[in-house]
Order: sequence, then structure tokens, then C-alpha cells
Amino acid sequence: MSIVQAILIALVYYLGRSPFLAGPVGYYTIYRPVIGGWVVGIILGDPLTGMAVGATINLMYIGFISAGGALPGDMCLAGILGTALAVSGGITTEAALALAVPIGLIGTIIWQGKMTVNSLFAHVADKAAEKGDPGTVWIGDVLLPQIFLFLLTAVPCFLAAYFGSQAVEGIIAVLGGKILSVLTSIGSMMPALGIALNLKAIYKGDAKIFFFVGFLLLVYFELSMIAIGLIGLVMAVIYMQIISRQKEEE
Amino acid sequence: MEKTAKEKKLSKKAVLGAYIRWLFLNQSNYSYERYMGTGFLHAMNPVVKELYKDDEEGRKEVMKRHSGFFNCEPCLASPIVGLTVAMEEQKASGEALDEDAITSIKTGLMGPASGIGDTLIQGVIVPLLLALCIDFSADGNIAGPILYCLVITGIILVISYFGFMMGYKKGSDALMDMLESGVINKVISGAGIMGCVVLGALVAKYVGLSCKIGIPYGEEVFSIQTQLFDVLLPKMLPLALTMGVMKLLDKGKKPMYIMLVMVIAGTVLGLLGII
Repeated sequence: MSIVQAILIALVYYLGRSPFLAGPVGYYTIYRPVIGGWVVGIILGDPLTGMAVGATINLMYIGFISAGGALPGDMCLAGILGTALAVSGGITTEAALALAVPIGLIGTIIWQGKMTVNSLFAHVADKAAEKGDPGTVWIGDVLLPQIFLFLLTAVPCFLAAYFGSQAVEGIIAVLGGKILSVLTSIGSMMPALGIALNLKAIYKGDAKIFFFVGFLLLVYFELSMIAIGLIGLVMAVIYMQIISRQKEEE
Repeated sequence: MEKTAKEKKLSKKAVLGAYIRWLFLNQSNYSYERYMGTGFLHAMNPVVKELYKDDEEGRKEVMKRHSGFFNCEPCLASPIVGLTVAMEEQKASGEALDEDAITSIKTGLMGPASGIGDTLIQGVIVPLLLALCIDFSADGNIAGPILYCLVITGIILVISYFGFMMGYKKGSDALMDMLESGVINKVISGAGIMGCVVLGALVAKYVGLSCKIGIPYGEEVFSIQTQLFDVLLPKMLPLALTMGVMKLLDKGKKPMYIMLVMVIAGTVLGLLGII
């Protein structure tokens, strides 16, 4: 990985955490490992591998809901750095997923650091409010927190991408097959956590049985995800029709 | 109602300006002390400037009112920001709206809007679209990320823009009616069913766990995975693992703890050659 590539990757991470991609638009796109991984793949000249690695890492975070500002892991860093290390180190997508787990946990520190220090900048904005001066609110709301966020995200990400990619190649060569196969089995178990977290939000009441329908449709018919999604949509509509008819009869 | 001051009407530019600032900057200074409070204050800038152009005391009052704590799901918070803009406009026009009323309507709507926003957007829409995107992307189809980005961007902009304008034009009663109406609940439960189907398929396709134990008998080796589990129900181990993780979550275990258990179990069982 060249220095320029590492700088670009660090910028993608900052961008994913910044508000400049229309706030929630950025949070629901480049912040997600599948999209972040794709962009990193483009930077490293291998978009297809980047996309596939990012997609696998994203499975672990598919159901992560940030309620009340608490994030159980930084999926943006896990997706971007995990993909960068996997593509440049040439490891399997499952092993990359196992690698992304600790990266995501370390990223939580960045999140908490930001949430804590930003409280100071809120008081800078308060000063503007006390003076009745809307013109300077941006100093406390954008300038200071974004400079701080840039230092907090882009700098460590650059260092980790640039030096980490060299280290990963060496470590993998030393560790050899057995460790890599253990990493792969850990990595392939991880999506269970992401899916279970998402299920926690929607696996309720009458909807429960439909989870098994989806499982069986894939196991026995090997349908594509889009086919299963459409069948799910039709079943949801049928269910709603039956329910509303029952209510009418009551 | 008798009006003490002449009626003030915000320009379209100021209303749109408030929306754009909210959309972009709601989490720009996300902090433990105020959460989106500073972002809210910033969004009110064009409103403050226009309503209290030559009234410094008025500006101070409004800005202090909106620099406090605010936290909500950003898209569903958009109607609340729109509503607040409308309330400030009425207050500046001399309507009897006291400060506490504005603050309590604003903070009172935070909870219900977050509940719906987190469930609908983070719990259902995003995972559903992501599941399809991940499936396309894992197969190396570039349509996956491109379509996902287009669709989710469209959904966010539509919900937040029309929500904002609805809050601004229709007022708090209409907003409460919408939040409590059956339509949103119907969408959530319908989408929940579709989500369950897709998640079930995701388990079968992407969670990997298989038993590598083989029991030798005579010349042959009996493979527990291919000759027992796969015959009973292929992918039964990934299904059991997912259900097990869900049970742990239901018991209140933290995701971090479960992650750690999986890493340790994976290492031990992997080194022993069991999985």
C-alpha cells in the first residue's frame, strides 16, 4: 500500500464519521462496511475484493442499532481498515472478519473520546447563544469538533492502514495455516451475532415463524436473496390482509 | 387572537436553510452532554436571523432556548425541527406561546419519534436493504453498493424533507396523530415479517459453523457433519448458533461479551479440530 493510498483510506474513514455527506445519508452509506469496503477496494485497485470483504464484515454489524448514541463497536473503522488490511495482506474474507472484530472494538474508544470532548465545544456554541450571535455558532458546532474529529480518526487510521498492511503480511506468513483456519472459523461464526442483534428488534409474536420460512427457503431451494425478499414481501401482505379481515369480523 | 406585534412570516429560504442545516449538522457536535443540542441550535440560525433581525434580546432568548439537550433519530427528528421553526414563527408574530410550551412539545416528541425512527429505519429498512446489498456484493455484483446507496439516500431525503415540511405546516397535533396512527405500526409489523424471512435466509447463507469430527469404523470414516447433520437439516449448526446468541441477548448479555465468548470458543474448538 502506497502512502497516497493510505491517506485516501484515512480520508474515507473521516468522511464516514463526518456530517458532510448529508448527515444520516453518510451514516447509512459509507459508514457501513459493505460500502466503505467497496470504496477502499477502489482505492487499492481491487473493488470486487473490497466489496466482498466489506460485505462479509457488514454481516456482523447488520443489526447494530445505535439507540441513545451507544455503539457496540465502530463498524466504519472495522469495515474500512479490515478491508484495507485484507486486500493488501491477501487473506480470506472470513479471516478478515475475525480481524475486523478487535478493530471495531478499538474504534469504540474513538467514539467515546469524541462524545466526551465534544461537550466542551457545546459550551463554545453556548457563548454565541448568550451573545445572541447566530454568526458564530458554527465555530462550536462545526469548526472545532470537526478539526478534533479529523485528528481523532484520520491520523490513527492512516498509521494503522500504512504500517498495519505491512505487518499483516508478515504475521500471516509466520502464523501459517492452523491459526488462519481458526481465524476463519471465528470469522464465519460472527455474522450470527449481527443477525441475532437485528432479530432482537423484529423477532416478535407472529413474525417469529417467518424467520424459519426464510431459513428453509434458502437451505432447500437455494433461492437468491432478492427472490426470498420478494416472497417475504408477499407473505407479509397476505398476513396483513388476513389480520385485518379477522378484525372486521370481530 | 389579538396580536401585539405584526405578523412575521419566514421566507422559504430560511425554512429550507433550517432543514439543510439539520440534515447535515445534527450530529456534527454529538456529545455526551447535549447530544444533538448544538446541532439543533445551529439549525435554528436562519430562523433566528430572520425573525429577530434587529432584536438582540430576542435572539438571545431563542438561541438559549434551543441550545439545550436534544437527542432523536435524525430522520424522524426532522418533523420536530420543522414544528419548532413554526412555533418560533408564531411566537415572533406575537401569539401567546410561552417558552416552556415550545420546549416541552419539542422534548415530548423526542421519545416517540426516536422509537419509531430506530425501529423503522435502523431496525427494518436499513438491514433489509443491506441484506440485499451484501448478497449482491458478496457475489461481486457492482449493482449491490450502487443500488443500495441510491435507494437509501432517496428514502432518507424523502422522509426527512417531507417530514420537516409536514411539521412546519401542519403543527403538533397532526404530528402526534401521525406518530400514533395505525399506518406506521402496520408498516413496521409488515416490514418486520419481511425482515424475519430475509434474516432467516441470511443465517443459512452466511453463518458458517460445521463439525469436523469423523468417527472411524472399519475402513470408513463416519462424518458427523455430512452424514448426520446435513441429512437431518443442512445448516442446523448455524441456526442453533444464531438462536443461542439471541437467547443470550434476551438474557441481557452485552454484544461485547458474546463476541468474546465466540472468539474463545472458536479458538479452543478450532485448535482441537472440532470445528
